[in-house]
Parts: sequence; structure tokens; C-alpha cells
Amino acid sequence: MKERFWSLVAILAIAGLMLAACGGPATPEPVTEEPEETHVFGVILVGPYNDHGWSEAHYTAAEYVTEHMDNTEFVYLDKLNPADRPETTLEQVVDDMVSQGAQVIFTTSDDFKEDTDRAAEKYPDVVFIHISGDHVLTGDAPSNVDNYMGKMVYGKMIAGCAAALATDTGTIGYVGPLINEETRRLASAAYLGARYCYENYRGEDPDDLRFIVTWIGFWFNIPGVTLDPTEVSNDLINEGVDVLISGIDTTEAIVVAGQRAAQGDRVFAIPYDYEGACEEAPDICLGVPYFNWGPGYLERVQAVRDGTWAPQFVWEEPDWNDINDRDSSAVGFLPGPGLEDAWAERLEAFIAGLADDSITLFVGPLNYQDGSTFLASGETASDEQIWYMQQLLEGMEGPSE
Amino acid sequence: MEFDFIVRTLASMVFSSTPVVLAAIGETISEKSGVINLSLDGSIALSAMTGFAVAFTTGSVTLGILAAMMVGALVALLVAFSCLTLRQEQVAVGFVLTMLCTELADFLGNPFVRRPGPSVPPMPIPYLCDIPFLGPILFRHNAMVYLSFLVVVAAWWWIARTQPGLKLQGVGERPESAFARGVDVNLLRYVYTIVGGALVGLAGAAYSLSIKLGWSHGHTTGIGWIALAIVIFGGWTPWRVAIGAYFFALLKALGSILQRNPAFEGVPTQIFSSAPFALMIFALLLLSSKGVDRVLALFPPQIARRLDRLIRGRAPGGLGRTFVQE
Repeated sequence: MKERFWSLVAILAIAGLMLAACGGPATPEPVTEEPEETHVFGVILVGPYNDHGWSEAHYTAAEYVTEHMDNTEFVYLDKLNPADRPETTLEQVVDDMVSQGAQVIFTTSDDFKEDTDRAAEKYPDVVFIHISGDHVLTGDAPSNVDNYMGKMVYGKMIAGCAAALATDTGTIGYVGPLINEETRRLASAAYLGARYCYENYRGEDPDDLRFIVTWIGFWFNIPGVTLDPTEVSNDLINEGVDVLISGIDTTEAIVVAGQRAAQGDRVFAIPYDYEGACEEAPDICLGVPYFNWGPGYLERVQAVRDGTWAPQFVWEEPDWNDINDRDSSAVGFLPGPGLEDAWAERLEAFIAGLADDSITLFVGPLNYQDGSTFLASGETASDEQIWYMQQLLEGMEGPSE
Repeated sequence: MEFDFIVRTLASMVFSSTPVVLAAIGETISEKSGVINLSLDGSIALSAMTGFAVAFTTGSVTLGILAAMMVGALVALLVAFSCLTLRQEQVAVGFVLTMLCTELADFLGNPFVRRPGPSVPPMPIPYLCDIPFLGPILFRHNAMVYLSFLVVVAAWWWIARTQPGLKLQGVGERPESAFARGVDVNLLRYVYTIVGGALVGLAGAAYSLSIKLGWSHGHTTGIGWIALAIVIFGGWTPWRVAIGAYFFALLKALGSILQRNPAFEGVPTQIFSSAPFALMIFALLLLSSKGVDRVLALFPPQIARRLDRLIRGRAPGGLGRTFVQE
């Protein structure tokens, strides 16, 4: 008995030593270096700041601001989501950032919508820029909240077009995050782009084109909560998909496509969010629709400092003179090495058509998935109609809610 | 189209079962010697994280794999030390280590969460990969997958066909008689527990560097437990354990195929992702139930005995028991 007791003590001691050896402060503090007289803004990210996806694009934008404005610093906290930081609330992060002198705080996830409003009420002197939200438009937001978003529908149309140009099987897969107005809108835009190019550049019947959407359930993989995007991507390819379009924050789709291509399958991928995302598997990357948040961030931080800021709902168009101009275009599309020259030419024609309005895709007759009318014949969708899409479009496979 | 679909589904089934196969074989070896390494779930998580972290930091996948194997072996060493030297309850030790390793992996892995990183490069085997049907299913993967094939064959051959393998079985079945014949029971148990642990570590690396790249919280959750179940399902025989692992992967693949079937619309997706676990447990229950005995009784005794041995394995006699040298 005594012997047992001591063995138990020994085990506990070993375990304790192991834990102690790896010790150190466990609380994640936002990183900051703050000399005197600097202006501080905060950025709150839902994923890791270096995810080669959505969050990294925002982090890059914050760096862009500090490069283009003197005496500016930013503080950030990444991975604010229920899986990575279950105990941390947006309000706590805001408290912390305000105490570090932040005058503007970017909250960069749809998930932060309600919490941003609450934090804004608590700190009426701080300006909150909520990315991808609509509470300024609906009038629900406090007067110190701004909404900003890039018109990614165009990026997705171009992605859809590229997919339609490349597909042999006539089956395109879309790895979607959770289902809401934003994600329905983006998947539908990709579908419209694909249909247009399948018909006009390939000369095929667009009704033969299959467009399968699988929603994983969140912006990125949370084991046990979402479907596993790696499995989803593999399953889609097994089902005959030869172009994967990613709608999630992370890079699984292109990684899987790269693996499968190396195993001998003819597959391509179009990642999302971050301009460097093609790097994961360049050879099979058709291109990436990405956000270029820098100029928009800069404009807002500058406006707050100048005292000219007023709350707005902005859904910003790309700069049609050059959608890849880093100093002016809110969204862009960077063609990837996997795009053959002949496809690239057609894709450029498509982009030019979008730019001069000779191609408009959100035009009726368009039906929702259940057959009800989204746009009557000849009707062009308003921004609000596109923003608030209630279902996927007729012809797309996959659930609408 | 249909044919392609079947080939592709089977190929990804083989690919994605790599870690389960490796972990289950590792555990089989350990249990054959009489030691239950229950820490599998945590051990896989910790080695998956370490493997990715090392590969990410050094840029070398090989180093990552080696590091993962070392972590697996180290945890197994802890199990062996606590159970064989300190004579603690194997199940309790394993359970505590599971939790410790899982927490450690989450905590230490924080800087690597959801970052893209290096991975085992694909390596189709020339000629073999062109064999119709079997080629794409078996030979268009990467070194990790081929390694798992080898591990199954090697483990089976070692245990069933070699002299040291017989000793291993003796140590697990009747440690007292093995000892009487001059075998150092605890030394052998140490060795095989650590070897099994290294394979479990390799399973972790197969996760984070081959099939589900990178690291995030709960990245590997559940796989360790299912591997433990598969060892029982496979009756402690390597090739049957491997079949069990592929069967589990098949259930998972079926889950996602059915999920897209219009007939199952409206069924929550969680059901499909958790069903394979439940089915696996159900299969275990079924095999160990009295009902099977009754069915077997319908056959002539000789055939019944064979069937029984075919579908049900028997645990090594000394499994989980501490051997005390008199």
C-alpha cells in the first residue's frame, strides 16, 4: 500500500515537472510596441494572423497602414474564436486595446457583429470598423460603428469563369463555410461566372454544368464541430469535381487538389482571400480572388485622425482600371500558374467585360433554388438584393440553409 | 464514371486510414507483450503536433516524422515505467497520460494552429501505379502510406513467424512460464511498448504531415480511441487489425457519400461524421455477444471453432497484468 502511494507521488511529480518545464505565461496578450505620441489602432482577427487566408489579408492591411502613415502603430489579437480562445470575449479584447490607446478598432469577422455593437456602446469615443457587417445599413449599429466590405462577388465571378474554362468533367465543387447571406451571395456569384463562361467561351450548354456546394459549417475547420474540409475536398474530387473553388478562410481545398494532382488526377483549385494563397500548390492553381484591405483601412484610419469620419456602409467596387492595383482596388484576382494561356486570354476578356459593364450577371430571369423568382426577366439586381440573397440559385446543388 | 468513383473512393479510403493503421498496429504490438498503452489518443495528438512543429521549424519532413516517433516512444516509456517498474494500474496511467498529452499538445501547439506547412510529398510507384484498379488504389500515394503497408506485413511476420515473435507472445500470454524459461519478461515488455509507442508517434506524423496537414486544437481527437477499439476488433492479429482500420475508413467514406444523397436530406451532418464511431462500437458489441455463440452452435463444432477464431480474437492472457518476478 505504502509502495503504491509513493509510486503515485512519483508519477504526479513527473507529470508536474513536465508541465513546469513547458510553463510560461499562458495568457495571450496582444503584441504592442508603443512609443510616445503615436496613434494606435486595433485589429481583431478570427483566425491566425499568418493563415495565408482571410486573417492574414487583414493583418497585411494593418501593416499597409503603418507603412503609409507616420506615427502609427497597431495592436492585434488573432484566433478570437470559440475553438482557439473559448474563454476570451470580444469585449475583453476591446477593453485591452482601448487601454493601450486604440482609437480605431477593426473587427474583422461576421461572427463579431453583435459583440462589436455592444463594445461600441461601451466605448462611444472609439471608432469601430466592422468588416462584412450590415448594421449601419439596417440602422441597428451605434453611431460610432462603420461597415466596410470589398465587392468580392466580382472576384468570385472571375473564379467561377476560370473554373468553367478549365473543367473537363463539367463539374465544379465549392467548399463553403457556414451558410449566411454573404456566403450564399459569393457561391451564387461563382456559379453565375461559371455559367457565363461555360456557355460563351466553351460553347457548351450551361445547364449541363454541375456546381456542387458543400458547407463545412464554419469559416475554418473546428474538429468535432465542422465537417473536415480535407475530407470534403477529397469527397468532391471523388465525385467527379475537377475544379475546387474555396470559400473558406483556410487553404485545405488547394492543398488537397495539389495532392490529388500529384497522385495523377486532373484537378485544379481556386483558393480565396489572400493573394499569396496559390503558393500552396502553384501548378494547379487557376488564380485567387483576394481582398486588398489596405487602402480601405488607410482611408478610415486617416479619416478618424482628421476628424472627418462619419459612419457609413461601404461595399467597395474593385478599381476597374486595374483590379490588382494594391493602392486602389479593394478586391482583385491574381491568375495562377495553372491557368493555361488560352484560358487566361478569355478570362481577361471576361474581366474587361465586367469592367465596362458589357457583362452583367445578376440579371433576370434568375430563380432561387426552390423555383421562386429572385430576379424577374430583364431585372438587374440592386446591391441590396445581391447582399441579401435568401437562397442559392436554381441549378446549384447543395443546401441553401 | 461510376467505376472511377469507386476507385477514387477506395483510394482515398486507403490514404486516409494510414494513421489508424499505424496506431492500431503499434498498440497491437504493445498489447501482445501484455501492456495496454491507453494513452493513444493523447499520444497521437502530441506527436502530430510535435511532428508538424518540427517539420515547420526545420523545413524537414523527415525530422518531423522522427520527432513524432520519439514523442510516441517517450510517452510509451512513461507508460512502461509507471506500469512495469512502479507497478501502477495500466488503465489509470494511460488515462492520465491521455489527458496530459492532449492538453500539452493544445498548449504547446498554439503558435502552429492552422498554419500551412510542409508535408510528405506524393510518390506514385512507377509501373505498379499503372495496374488497372489496384494501381490507383494502392500505389499512387506517398511514402507514409507505403510504410503503413510494410508495417502491417512486418508486424504480422515478426509476431507469427519468428523466434523473437514467439517470445513476445509468450511474455504476453503467460509471463510466468516465459520467465521460467529464462525470458526477461519486463525487459521485453519495455522494448515492445516503446516500439509500439514509436509507431503510434508515426501515426501522429501521418496525421499532421500526410493526410490532414497542419495542426489545430482537437486535430486528431477520437482517432486514438478508435485505434484501441480496432485492436480488439482485429483480435490482436496485425492483418485483421489492418482490415478493421480500413473498414472504419470505409464507414466514414460511406457516411459522406450518403450525406449527399437526397434521400438523407435534413439529417444533421453530425450524425454522418459520428456514425462510424458508433457503428464500430456496435460491431464490437455484436462480436462479443452471446448471440454469436448461439449462431456458432448451429455449425459443426470443428467449423464453429474455426469461424470463432476467424471473427473473434482472444486477448493475450497476461494483458494488463503486472508481472512480479518472484
